[in-house]
Amino acid sequence: MRKIFITVFLSLTLTTPAFAELKVVATLPWISSLAKEIGKDKVSVTTLIKPNQDPHVVEAKPSMILAGRKADIIIYNGLDLEIGYLPLILESSKNPKIVPGKPGNCDCSHFVKAIEKLGAVDRSMGDVHPLGNPHYHYSPANILRVAEGMSNTLAGLDRANAEYYRANFRSFAERLKERQKKWSAIPLKGKKFVAYHKLFEYLAGEFGFQLVGYVEAKPGIPPSAGHVEALIESMKANKPDGIVTTSFYGRKESESISAKTGVRLIILPGDIGGMKGTDDWFSFMDTVLASLK
Amino acid sequence: MKLVPILLGIVTFCALTVSAFGQDTPERLNALEDAIKTQSRTIEEQQRTIDAMKEEMGKQKEEEPLQKSQEESPFSSKVSGFFGGSVLTNPNISLLMDTFVYTSNLSNSELANRGIPGFTTLGKDARNGFNMGAAEDGAELFIFAPVDPYFNLYANIPFSDEGVALEEIFAVTTSLPEGFQVKGGKFKSNFSRLDAQHPHQWDFFDIALPYRAFVGNEGLGGEKGAQLTWLPALPVYTLFCAEVLQGENGLLFGADARSGPHAFSFFVKSSFETSDNSTLYFGPSVLFGKTRNGNIVPDTDFDGSSSLYGMEAVWKWKPSKMQGLILQSEYLYLTQHGNLTDLTAATVESLRRRQDGFYFQGIYQWYRWRFAARYDMLELFADTFKRDGAQQELGETPWRATASIEFNPSEFTRIRLQYNHDRSGRDGRSNDEGILQFIFGIGAHAAHTF
Repeated sequence: MRKIFITVFLSLTLTTPAFAELKVVATLPWISSLAKEIGKDKVSVTTLIKPNQDPHVVEAKPSMILAGRKADIIIYNGLDLEIGYLPLILESSKNPKIVPGKPGNCDCSHFVKAIEKLGAVDRSMGDVHPLGNPHYHYSPANILRVAEGMSNTLAGLDRANAEYYRANFRSFAERLKERQKKWSAIPLKGKKFVAYHKLFEYLAGEFGFQLVGYVEAKPGIPPSAGHVEALIESMKANKPDGIVTTSFYGRKESESISAKTGVRLIILPGDIGGMKGTDDWFSFMDTVLASLK
Repeated sequence: MKLVPILLGIVTFCALTVSAFGQDTPERLNALEDAIKTQSRTIEEQQRTIDAMKEEMGKQKEEEPLQKSQEESPFSSKVSGFFGGSVLTNPNISLLMDTFVYTSNLSNSELANRGIPGFTTLGKDARNGFNMGAAEDGAELFIFAPVDPYFNLYANIPFSDEGVALEEIFAVTTSLPEGFQVKGGKFKSNFSRLDAQHPHQWDFFDIALPYRAFVGNEGLGGEKGAQLTWLPALPVYTLFCAEVLQGENGLLFGADARSGPHAFSFFVKSSFETSDNSTLYFGPSVLFGKTRNGNIVPDTDFDGSSSLYGMEAVWKWKPSKMQGLILQSEYLYLTQHGNLTDLTAATVESLRRRQDGFYFQGIYQWYRWRFAARYDMLELFADTFKRDGAQQELGETPWRATASIEFNPSEFTRIRLQYNHDRSGRDGRSNDEGILQFIFGIGAHAAHTF
């Protein structure tokens, strides 16, 4: 008995690495997945927002603040996507490691080429993002940049494992390159889709399809009956290849428009884990692109 | 790339000519359709070439160093502080307008004099007809920004018909280690749930009855002082807090109760997830200090000490953005003793109070609508009000029932219709109130706490 105890004790104490794993807090599931790709067993990742939650409307729950309190680094989407709760989490978690300006505060949008930056905006235009469209997780080109930036950030924070993070990034980049070949063979070029919310602009740009209309006339504001009617008429006339949304963005409205126009309804995962078989970013993109086919 | 619009232009032009001539339409149509088909094939081919070229360019770009893309951004790619993407060094500013229409079976003078006997002599602020602001503040100006890497600054400046007040201005530390944070300046105490909320944040038009009875129509209000909070890295969210306040609240304390700070609070807030979609938040608190004011019994001055014990609990269920449920309750218990000076007779007698109050409310949110109900009651378990050792008969138990419907077209507009059946006057009469309230907010407003 005593032997067992000693063995257990020794194995516990000896196998514990000199540096405990880096505690990463990711706001969104795709960020969490990417951090795991780069950090693997050197990081433990907590995700604040669930895959089927609308990342625009989230409340800063005490559990999120507690996660922030224990974090070595917080990684987030940026471009004002988390503006409603992240500032509060940063301040309330009372953790100087993750405040802006510290290496433990990683805004992924800094690595990204954002599209749709707006000059003069006001709220009569709806829930607009003046710094650019924040939904770049559908963009392979930008995800590659984010993965690189993230690996550099983690390497800077945990110098002992810097080469490990960089190697993991290189293997991620390799896999992405492979997968890109498969993806570019999917015939999406020239297709026309109607979307509920401005979520798929990066995807359209990179895979050559068009977004010809939106159910939401203004982002974040439910559409008026008149707008929906006009959209239905134009969809009947122009027969787009599909009406695209995610499970939490106006699914009902999109379903009814699909039924009225005969245009195919395409539900895409909003984030990693948002649908079955989207456990990492590659399978997530596989699902997205296969659904649009 | 420029070819595409030109070709489209040609197609449209042809289409227009067709409608102009209108002869041999089917034949012309067929011919044109054929033409379009050929053209679209050309477009497709050209598009392919363009895409190939773009891809090539994309590859080249990807090889460029990362630094470059950051410099290209016209907006700051640099850290922009706690408050997200703002590129400005200007503070974040927001302005709120709060206005309502009020109707009651009581006259304006009856409302103004309607206190809660045994608790407060202060009447209601609202008047029949048009009003500005639930707390008489028709507009509230909020300003906040990081000061430097060590402090954030917040200010809340309400405007009323009478003028401007400095309700709150405080700095918060952001860089203390081990989960410590200090707040200093003038601020709303966090000792209880409703107290720290601004009137525009309230779930109803008015504050719950126990607050009105023990600390006044707006809660404790901005108090000068300092706050220390500590959030240890425990498995469960547990926040510890202590405050030292000047104690200027006109009902619980009083500016001249003693020279120097004479109000103190301690509280703990704890929270855990009860399921994937629901959270429980709760905590006890105590607020105590010296009291000297004339608002407890008419035509008297009170001089003594008070302790207010509280317990709050909130349960939030939010399965999706389409719907949610919030159940919330607080219990407050006051002990107070000291001397009551009759201002007309100039006699002094002792006053001893042990009174309590509670409210329970539920809010169901469905899309942009919120349906809410609340029940408040005073003297639930304790109703001691002794003058010179003799219990006073103050009348029926004060209570109030409330229902409200809110429509929130966006995050920045709130339209609320509320009805109160208020029996807190203890005179056998009820105050049946109807309120139609409008709240609008512009600018960058700090996120509200859980």
